[in-house]
Amino acid sequence: MDAPLTQLPAPPPLNWAVAEDDLPREFPNRDEFAQDLEQLFPQTEGGLSPLRGGRDAAERQLERMNAKCYGRSRNHLDGAVTQLSPYIRHGVLSLAEVREAVFDQLRQHRQQREDGATLIKELGWRDFWQRIWTGLGDQINNNQEELNTGHDPNSYGRNVPDDIRTGRTGLACMDRFQADLVETGWLHNHARLWLAAYVVHWRRVHWKAGADWFLEHLLDGDPASNHLSWQWVASSFSHKPYFFNRENLERYSKGRFCTDCPSAGCCPFEGSYAQLETQLFAPPAAIGDTGGTHGRERGATFARPSAAAARPKR
Amino acid sequence: MPLQRPVLWVHEEALGPRNPALLAWPQAPALFVFDSAWISSAHISRKRIGFLYESALALPVSLRKGDVAAEVMAFAKCHTADGVVSSRPVDPRLQRIANSIRRQWPIVLLEPDAFVNPPRPPRLGRFSRYWRDAESVVWEGFTSNAS
Ligand SMILES: Cc1cc2nc3c(=O)[nH]c(=O)nc-3n(C[C@H](O)[C@H](O)[C@H](O)COP(=O)(O)OP(=O)(O)OC[C@H]3O[C@@H](n4cnc5c(N)ncnc54)[C@H](O)[C@@H]3O)c2cc1C
Repeated sequence: MDAPLTQLPAPPPLNWAVAEDDLPREFPNRDEFAQDLEQLFPQTEGGLSPLRGGRDAAERQLERMNAKCYGRSRNHLDGAVTQLSPYIRHGVLSLAEVREAVFDQLRQHRQQREDGATLIKELGWRDFWQRIWTGLGDQINNNQEELNTGHDPNSYGRNVPDDIRTGRTGLACMDRFQADLVETGWLHNHARLWLAAYVVHWRRVHWKAGADWFLEHLLDGDPASNHLSWQWVASSFSHKPYFFNRENLERYSKGRFCTDCPSAGCCPFEGSYAQLETQLFAPPAAIGDTGGTHGRERGATFARPSAAAARPKR
Repeated sequence: MPLQRPVLWVHEEALGPRNPALLAWPQAPALFVFDSAWISSAHISRKRIGFLYESALALPVSLRKGDVAAEVMAFAKCHTADGVVSSRPVDPRLQRIANSIRRQWPIVLLEPDAFVNPPRPPRLGRFSRYWRDAESVVWEGFTSNAS
C-alpha cells in the first residue's frame, strides 16, 4: 500500500557514520521537509512540486505508462504522455529500464512492435540530445546556425519580460503554462513548444533567456534537451522557425483556454499560417520551404515545422 | 592499481539503483552534494532541489551542500579512501567537477546503462540519421508474444 501522501518513504540506512555537516535524511512528513528546505537552501524560491522525487514515485509513474495509447495521443495536452522525464533526466530510471518496460508491456498485452514504436522513438530523442551534448559540450549555449527569422539577432531581448514570468500576459493559455511550469516544474511537450514560440517570436526574446528560465523550474531541466529544443523553435538549430496558430493550439488543448480567455477577440495567435508568418518574420527571411519538416496543418500552403509532429525534426 | 577502498560520488545524472558505481560498490560510502554555486547562478527553484533531495533520499548516500569537488574529497579523506568512483557524466559542469577531483585523487568513471549500443557510433547530424542507425539495434531485445 502507498504511504499516506504527506509521508516520505524511509531512507535506506547507511553503514558508515553520519558526519556533523551532513544534511538531514529523516523528515517527519513532506510539509516539514518543505520547511527544512527553506532553511537549508535560503537562496532558492518557491515550494515543492506535487510531483515527487525518488524511486518509488518513479515506479508508480512507470506503471501508468501505456505505450499504445501514447502513440495515438501524445500531441494532445490530455494525451497519454508518460511524465517520466524528471526521473529519466536524473537517472532515477535509466532510459534502458524504460525501454525494457515498454517491451514488457507489449509482450504482456500481446501487442506488436508498431504499438510501442512512437514511445521508443521519443526515448531515442533523449538519447540523441545526450549524444549531441557529449560532442558539443558547452557549445549548446551558442547558436548552432544563423537565425532564419530575417531579424537582426541583436533585436531579441535578453530577459524574459515580467508579465510572462509572473503569468500576467492576459493570454489564458500562456498564463496557464507559466503557472504549471512554476508550480509543478513540468509541462507537456506541446505546451513547451507553444510557450517557447510565444516568447521568442511574438515577444522577440532571445531563446537563451527563455531556455534559462525553463531550467530554473523544470524538474526534468536538462541543458541539452532544453537548449537545443529552444534553438529549434528559434531556428538556430533548424531550417526555419517553429510557430503555431490559435486553431492548432485550440485543437490540441481541446479548446480549454480559448473559451474564457480575457484576450478572446484580440488573440495574437489568430490567423492563418501565411498571415502569421508575414507578421512575425521579416522579409527577405530565409524561412521558405527548405525541406526537412513538413507542415501538416490544414490550409498551410507552405512547409512548416509541424506542430502536429510537435517536436524538433532534423 | 584498481581501487580497494573507494568512496562513491553520486551526481544529478545517476540518482537511481542502476547507477553503475552503486552496483559495483554496494557497500562503499557514497555522497551526493548539492552544488551551491550552480544553484545560485542558475537560480534553481526549490522544487527542483526538493525533487533531487527526495530522489537522493531513496539511495544509501550521505548528503551535503557546497563546493562539490571539495566535499567529495573531504568525504574521501574522512573515510580514508584510496579513490573515488562515479558514473560518467554527460554534463560538462559535472565533468569539470570530476576533473578537479582527478587532480588530487584517483577517480574511476563507470559507464551508465546504454539505451542503444550500435556496432558503429551512430551518425548525429540529424535525428533521422541517428534513428536509422539506432532503431533496429534498440529493437533487437524485443520479441513479440502477439499471435
Ligand atoms: C522548449 C522545450 C524545452 C524542453 N526541455 C526539456 C528538458 O529540459 N528536459 C527534458 O527531458 N525534455 C525537454 N523537452 C522535451 C520534451 O518536451 C519533454 O521531454 C517531455 O515533454 C517530457 O514529458 P514526458 O515525460 O511525458 O514525455 P513523453 O512524451 O512521455 O516521452 C517519454 C520520454 O522520452 C523523452 N523525450 C520525449 N520527447 C523528447 C524530446 N523532444 N526531447 C528529449 N527527450 C524527449 C523524455 O525522457 C520523456 O520522459 C523540451 C522540449 C521543448 C520543446
